Amino acid sequence: MSLKDAEWYVQGVLEQDRKILAKTITLIESSLPAHQELGQAVVDRLLPHTGESVRVGITGVPGAGKSTFIESLGVMLLETGHRVAVLAVDPSSTRSGGSILADKTRMERLSASDVAFIRPSPSGGTLGGVARKTRETMLVCEAAGFDVVIIETVGVGQSETTVSSMVDFFLVLLIPGGGDELQGIKKGVIEIADVIAINKADGDNIEKAEKARKEYETALHLLTPASSNWIPPVLTCSAIEMTGIKEVWDTILEHRNKLTGTGELREIRQKQSLDWMLSIIDDGIRDWFYGKPEVKKKLPKISLEVEKGLKEPTIAAREILFTLRKENKD
Amino acid sequence: MSEHQGKKKWLELAEKELRGKPVESLNWKTPEGIEVKPLYTAEDIEGLECVNTIPGVSPYVRGPKATMYAGRPWTIRQYAGFSTAKESNEFYRKNLAAGQKGLSVAFDLATHRGYDSDHPRVVGDVGKAGVAVDSVEDMKILFDRIPLGEMSVSMTMNGAVLPILAGYIVAAEEQGVSQDKLAGTIQNDILKEYLTRNTYIYPPEPSMRIVSDIIEYCSKNMPKYNTVSISGYHIMEAGANSVLQTAFTLADGLEYVKAALAKGLDIDDFAPRLSFFFGIGMNFFMDIAMLRAARFLWAEIMSRFNPKKPQSSMLRTHCQTSGWSLTQQDPYNNIIRTTLECLSAVLGGTQSLHTNSFDEAIGLPTDFSARIARNTQIIVQEESQICHVVDPLGGSYYVEYLTNSIVEEARKIMKEIEDLGGMAKAIEMGMPKRMIEESAARKQARIDMGKDVIVGVNKYTIEEDLIDDIREVPATVRDEQVARLKEIKSKRDNDAVKKALDAITKCAESGGNLLEACIPAMRARATVGEVTEAMEKVFGRFVATTQCISGAFSSEYGDSEIIKSIQKRTEEFMNREGRRPRILVTKMGQDGHDRGMKVIATAFADLGFDVDISPMFQTPEEAAKMAIENDVHVVGASSLAAGHKTLVPQLIENLKRMGGEDIKVVAGGVIPPQDYQYLYDAGVAGVFGPGSVIADTANRVLNLIEQK
Ligand code: B12
Ligand SMILES: Nc1nc2c(ncn2[C@@H]2O[C@H](COP(=O)(O)OP(=O)(O)OP(=O)(O)O)[C@@H](O)[C@H]2O)c(=O)[nH]1
Ligand SMILES: [Mg+2]
Repeated sequence: MSLKDAEWYVQGVLEQDRKILAKTITLIESSLPAHQELGQAVVDRLLPHTGESVRVGITGVPGAGKSTFIESLGVMLLETGHRVAVLAVDPSSTRSGGSILADKTRMERLSASDVAFIRPSPSGGTLGGVARKTRETMLVCEAAGFDVVIIETVGVGQSETTVSSMVDFFLVLLIPGGGDELQGIKKGVIEIADVIAINKADGDNIEKAEKARKEYETALHLLTPASSNWIPPVLTCSAIEMTGIKEVWDTILEHRNKLTGTGELREIRQKQSLDWMLSIIDDGIRDWFYGKPEVKKKLPKISLEVEKGLKEPTIAAREILFTLRKENKD
Repeated sequence: MSEHQGKKKWLELAEKELRGKPVESLNWKTPEGIEVKPLYTAEDIEGLECVNTIPGVSPYVRGPKATMYAGRPWTIRQYAGFSTAKESNEFYRKNLAAGQKGLSVAFDLATHRGYDSDHPRVVGDVGKAGVAVDSVEDMKILFDRIPLGEMSVSMTMNGAVLPILAGYIVAAEEQGVSQDKLAGTIQNDILKEYLTRNTYIYPPEPSMRIVSDIIEYCSKNMPKYNTVSISGYHIMEAGANSVLQTAFTLADGLEYVKAALAKGLDIDDFAPRLSFFFGIGMNFFMDIAMLRAARFLWAEIMSRFNPKKPQSSMLRTHCQTSGWSLTQQDPYNNIIRTTLECLSAVLGGTQSLHTNSFDEAIGLPTDFSARIARNTQIIVQEESQICHVVDPLGGSYYVEYLTNSIVEEARKIMKEIEDLGGMAKAIEMGMPKRMIEESAARKQARIDMGKDVIVGVNKYTIEEDLIDDIREVPATVRDEQVARLKEIKSKRDNDAVKKALDAITKCAESGGNLLEACIPAMRARATVGEVTEAMEKVFGRFVATTQCISGAFSSEYGDSEIIKSIQKRTEEFMNREGRRPRILVTKMGQDGHDRGMKVIATAFADLGFDVDISPMFQTPEEAAKMAIENDVHVVGASSLAAGHKTLVPQLIENLKRMGGEDIKVVAGGVIPPQDYQYLYDAGVAGVFGPGSVIADTANRVLNLIEQK
């Protein structure tokens, strides 16, 4: 892509230019150092214009109805005058590293709207990175005047903990399963939920959903809540029939009011800033280390040896790390 | 020589001919997963449940009628419709004069989706891929001088089935023909719309109510009318193999039976009026066996409802030869393909048949190509002397064995569907669609690799061979329809229309028979769009969730240099540009053909692209917005229903207007080579027609992206 100067991006984003916003996100997501550097310069300058939105993270097993839920919630928010941005982090990459980004097909009305912005992002192929990119993308959207930012992430891998570390409110979407209610979703995910919503409570599922709701409520009682002022409620909803959606949003607002009042929201965001800094450092070290010519040269060979069982993993790791120490001497 | 000894002798001879290779090396695994051997003998069909039956007697393996074609040959029924009702009517009457026996109406996509011709979402669709019908007035012209009391009329309508069937009833009434005289078929098979055909309007639940309302109304008032045409054809054309086609079609049928029973109808009052529609492809013996197996299985399925009338468990079917098997390249070859498929349908025992035109992959049939298509089956019927004997392949070791294999394999899939809670549930969960799409992606890979031969496409190719006689429906048809709509609306009693429409809304809300409610509205000259909307207020409009499989294309390909080289290219692209090449694949207008778009999406992802897919039925503006927002390198419009000259230039204009002039636009699908220049002039960077090899396509798209 042909690069413009930082000013072009900054102005465009602040003027809420859809195309430039899109290009800025591309810049941020790029794996090229030059792009990243420019992207960070843009973000630095946009930071003063951020912080005003409601940041909502949504996770759930594949097919739980996250995208459909966002469509329903988003359309409802548009009707009440909000500007909604949606970031869908899609880990559904194929072995080739390519991916199919189909979330927007479930957000038909939202994607057609002039006051909504939806950006599906492939996470395939990039190491780590997702976190930094998603967070900065979220901030850029805020600077572009979106007052609700929703991040969709599939509840597999590490993505959900990462996302929860950048939002104000974390919604876990579940579906009424057959009996075993902790369907594939990790316990850790439940622990970071600010609300659990049992989706697809419609048709002959209504009773099952209510049953699941009660079970989760009991299960949640056994956990210590993250804030003494907020016990995560368990709700039911139907993204398709648009029932229970408003209740979820009301809960988000209630959470916001309460935690703003107690000052916890500010604390949460401060803590997130610190995490952010640390993760930038982590990323930096990682990029720097793996970018070393020495490491680049040795790693593939040594990896192969470990894979084939010719070398112990511990020894191999030390050998690579040792290169680093050696290099630092001169 | 006893059979056993004979077989041993044969084995010896065979291995000798094979110079020591085992005979098993000649085995062939069909796409259905059925292992086919080079020789079948009596022992292969010993004890099979479907062997040794009699035609006209349950389980009807050998045919629903005792005398089959010896008594009466199949009905020659060509599916057609385009432009205005007037033009289609003329076309029909010409064809009837030339030997066609039944009518089969193809409506345009605006009508299918319940939009009047003046709706902003159908600017590229009116009259293009079928005939435009907005009201009873159009319907009357469509059947002008065609006596509806005598002519059996089949109508392919599913989404807007209520206003269209009601309109047909009123048109007949105004010809002086009462409902009980009407003979013919309405497709009314909504389940496969969600699965493959994509002309649904309402969500599944109210749609199933519509199906059973129609069954109910017709079983009382139209005893000669087929109320559902349970269709496997579209399932096959979307990519399903013959076992999948059989299983999904019969499972759909079972679902309708259950719905009608749930309405309190008696099995014998409606089951005899259920008919079927199968697609016949190039696997000659397989599809003969498929029809035989389907009849067997349907009799088996129906037996659990204890019908008293034999007709209730008798599978009667229409067939169509495969359009998918026909090529744009070297198109006269298609006549030969269609002849083979025609023969397969007939040997399988179909009750009526449509044979495709050789210009299938180029556009709607011309008068000439339609004549050849019709004559293909007339010649088989009247010259080849095959009609004299019932089920001439009955007892063929191979055909009987295949029949049995399909029965067994299809049963397994139907069992899976039952375990999920029936076909409606299975569709909701996406199971059948996934299987069809995977089958389609694998098929594409096999063709691209040359494993499955298609003459003119991947073998014995020739330099571009254009046929210059093509049918193009002018954009002015829409203006004509819009003017007629205005006129109708100005002449009718608008209060009466409003009252009738309100009654429909009320019926939708609180129960009653919807077909009964729609007839007065159509009589009062309400439009198809208005009647559709009257129910939409209550039912809402269904939005499909597009899913896309991944990995099937490359896994069928296996370890291939071509694939690896493209993967390397996309990888290098990423190292250079900081992200993968990103393409938005979109469908604009009411065109519901999504097989090609899915194949492209899944294959491109397998090749290392990031592929965005848009919802179906986009306006050019919506597609442009999505392209810009997702910041893709290229937008690919897949267009098969003749909207390309309207919609693709509009997409380019919208991109420019929104600042996305750097985004390249390519088009794929059924685009006549004559139109390429028109599209290039409008700013299209590349056009990819039917038969495009994925690897070449991907490389060309990469070239376009890379040239700045
Ligand atoms: C399969 C098929 C169907 C299936 C569709 C199943 C599905 N879900 O897709 C069924 C049976 C349901 C169907 C129905 C209808 N069909 Co149809 N159908 C076909 C058929 C036989 C094959 C199309 C196909 O899938 N080919 C296989 C795929 C893989 O090929 P492809 O789409 O061409 O894609 C390749 C290239 O074009 C290219 N490509 C395509 N898109 C893109 C995008 C990008 C980005 C790129 C790079 C490349 C690319 O790459 C692909 C790989 O090579 C064609 C005729 C033909 N032989 O082409 C008629 C055809 C398209 N149908 C036609 C019609 C009229 C209809 C109906 C409207 C009839 C009616 N009035 O009811 C209905 C309604 C469908 C609807 N809702 O829109 C007409 C359209 C006429 C016209 N253009 O003037 C055709 C041309 C047949 C004809 N001659 O009459 N159909
Ligand atoms: N019955 C019912 N189905 C729903 C509901 N919400 C979503 N679905 C269906 O569930 C399927 C998956 O929905 P999505 O919104 O794509 O789910 P998702 O969680 O975003 O899926 P991924 O992004 O693939 O992880 C679709 O077929 C939806 O139509 C609901 O409230 N009720
Ligand atoms: Mg999703």
